[in-house]
Amino acid sequence: MNKNTFHHSDFCNLNTLVDAKENKGLKISLCLPTLNEEETIAKQILIMRSELMKRYPLLDEIVVIDSGSEDRTVDVAKAFDADVYEAKDILPELGPQKGKGENLWKALYVTKGDIIVYLDADIKNIHHRFAYALVAPLLLNDKLRYAKAFYDRPIAIEKNQVRPTGGGRVTELVIRPLFSLFFPELTQILQPLSGEYAGYRSVFDKLSFPIGYGIETSMLLDICERWGLDVIAQVDLDKRIHRNQSTKNLGKMAFVILKTFYNRIEKLGMIDLKTRLFNEMIQYNTVENEYQQEMFSLSCVERPPMIEIPEYRKKFNITGDKWC
Amino acid sequence: MNKILEKLPSFVEKIRTMREIIISNILLIGQIPSPTFNEGPRAQFFLERMRDSQVDECTSDGYGNPIAIIRGTSKTRPPIFVTAHLDTLFDKDIVYNYTVKENTIAGPGLLDNSLGVAVLASLPEIFRILDLKFESDIVMAGLIHMLGKGNLQGIRYLLDTWSTPVRAGVCIEGFKLGRLNYFSDGMRRCEITCNCIPEKGVIPKYRPNAILIINEVINQILQIQLPQHPRSIIAIGQIEGGFEHGTIPYEARLGFEIRSDSPKILKSVYAQVVDIVEGISHENAVSLKLKTISHLSAARLKYNHPLVKNTSAVMKRLNLNPVSDPSESSLSIFIANKIPAVTLGVTYGENRSLENASMQINPMYKGIAQIVGVIMAIDSGVCDEE
Repeated sequence: MNKNTFHHSDFCNLNTLVDAKENKGLKISLCLPTLNEEETIAKQILIMRSELMKRYPLLDEIVVIDSGSEDRTVDVAKAFDADVYEAKDILPELGPQKGKGENLWKALYVTKGDIIVYLDADIKNIHHRFAYALVAPLLLNDKLRYAKAFYDRPIAIEKNQVRPTGGGRVTELVIRPLFSLFFPELTQILQPLSGEYAGYRSVFDKLSFPIGYGIETSMLLDICERWGLDVIAQVDLDKRIHRNQSTKNLGKMAFVILKTFYNRIEKLGMIDLKTRLFNEMIQYNTVENEYQQEMFSLSCVERPPMIEIPEYRKKFNITGDKWC
Repeated sequence: MNKILEKLPSFVEKIRTMREIIISNILLIGQIPSPTFNEGPRAQFFLERMRDSQVDECTSDGYGNPIAIIRGTSKTRPPIFVTAHLDTLFDKDIVYNYTVKENTIAGPGLLDNSLGVAVLASLPEIFRILDLKFESDIVMAGLIHMLGKGNLQGIRYLLDTWSTPVRAGVCIEGFKLGRLNYFSDGMRRCEITCNCIPEKGVIPKYRPNAILIINEVINQILQIQLPQHPRSIIAIGQIEGGFEHGTIPYEARLGFEIRSDSPKILKSVYAQVVDIVEGISHENAVSLKLKTISHLSAARLKYNHPLVKNTSAVMKRLNLNPVSDPSESSLSIFIANKIPAVTLGVTYGENRSLENASMQINPMYKGIAQIVGVIMAIDSGVCDEE
């Protein structure tokens, strides 16, 4: 933790990062997965394009992968010159799936970068440090292959009001207890569910991607299992203000994360489940003094490692066992 | 001057190509809270941005105003000042997250004056894109301690301590495109506080109500006779007091301004307010305190001043119809220091002083071209008085 934990201010000299990128001959892509983010998407694109493309040429492209927004997210993103894709239009022959993980996985096919930065698109206080500070450890230390954000998480409670603490509830109530039980070394990752991370394509394309909320959990477990904790950096980005989620939504998120986690530890032989796990999350609402059941089907489909997809291997000219 | 005017429409289009950089500055500056007396973080960012833009000099003056200078080619021409106030009306505890849509930006403090500061911070890049060089030094100053109780201290200090003559000043305000301010009324901004807590041992027959006392003050102020000429008004702007519906308040506060282009009337009206306050305080046995928090003398350029005439020409070339009202701001201090100056707005918008202030993006490019055109006109010498 002491070795690979940084603060964004450690990397505020952007010229150093641009030099490192050029010396290594790398390309860097920024991917913003979206679903109804018309309030925040323009800001993210504008600030990243201005600061990290025009002022400091650190990013080579900004790609928005949308899951079928019903608001004006796509139009707004196009108006500010991002490359916008509908997830369903990428590799359509593989069939449609919907979820953040699906967008991140498909981004591997359409982006060009050797390093890919993934940022959630609902960050209200976006600043270019969210991208450059995640890329920086990878550019400046060859041993590091993946960098993850952590931060204070004030949550927006009403229009123009924030509560200073209280974010990261699923982290503290679900993931941290699980990590403590099964992978105590991973508790050093302070925000395992943060949606902001950067990594080498050569890492991402060898991972399977759950299509939904389980992506952050699986990614961390798989990278750690395959390459070890030492390839992971974490960067303090100070404060991140995001849209507050209802407890019910967090419950669904926790459901998917738990399922992803159990699948992983079962594969690793750490537990032996004697029964199958269900795909339905059951919640209750009070309607006119009666409890009404709501059942949500939350399948935990996973996309295989992108490097196993023939179209991808063809596009990136990957032959033989280079991917093994 | 005609050469400058000819270039302006093409400037609008070139400035439009800088959309990301300008809007990014609006967002990054606007999202830094900057209440009056706490402008430090915004001032720091302003300087960082100027350093990034590789201006020739970057510093803060002794008061804390951040200043960036682009050196001119002439060693004898006095500098041109371009300013924007850094402070906003909102305190630091609200959320300063801005929202951007295709043609609008919204957020607290945007029009007053984060947009103005962002345009100022973008000027070095804009000059570079337009390939402009100037004879005069261009001094770009973010001003602190300007609004309300700040009493324009930032600009007062800057001009008091600047050691050389200044050629002219251009003050940038986010709102509203089309304004051409070149005169300001005399102004006395005051606050009256009422405190009805009785002294120990005194039991008043009727417990006074601070809000009603302030109400009486307002009623009597409104009876003051004001002439239509010289133009004079009393603007009752703020009132504060009370706890809940059924509790008699013992404290209340009134904020108002007396404005007039006649110093004599300003003085006379203020004296009448003093009498009103003393009378009501005495008759109701309450503490009423009158405090002046800001004071400005009337100042103006003539309509036919070359700076006003040429600014007007620049605006008309861009199909803007100049609208002139008095402006009690940096402009007053420039003119009081015998420096010709104008205040210009950047774009159109709504809810200027509210948390949900919003601006239109497209007209902004014209607003910036207008500012550049005026700076060029000043630099060319056509705005100098003979």
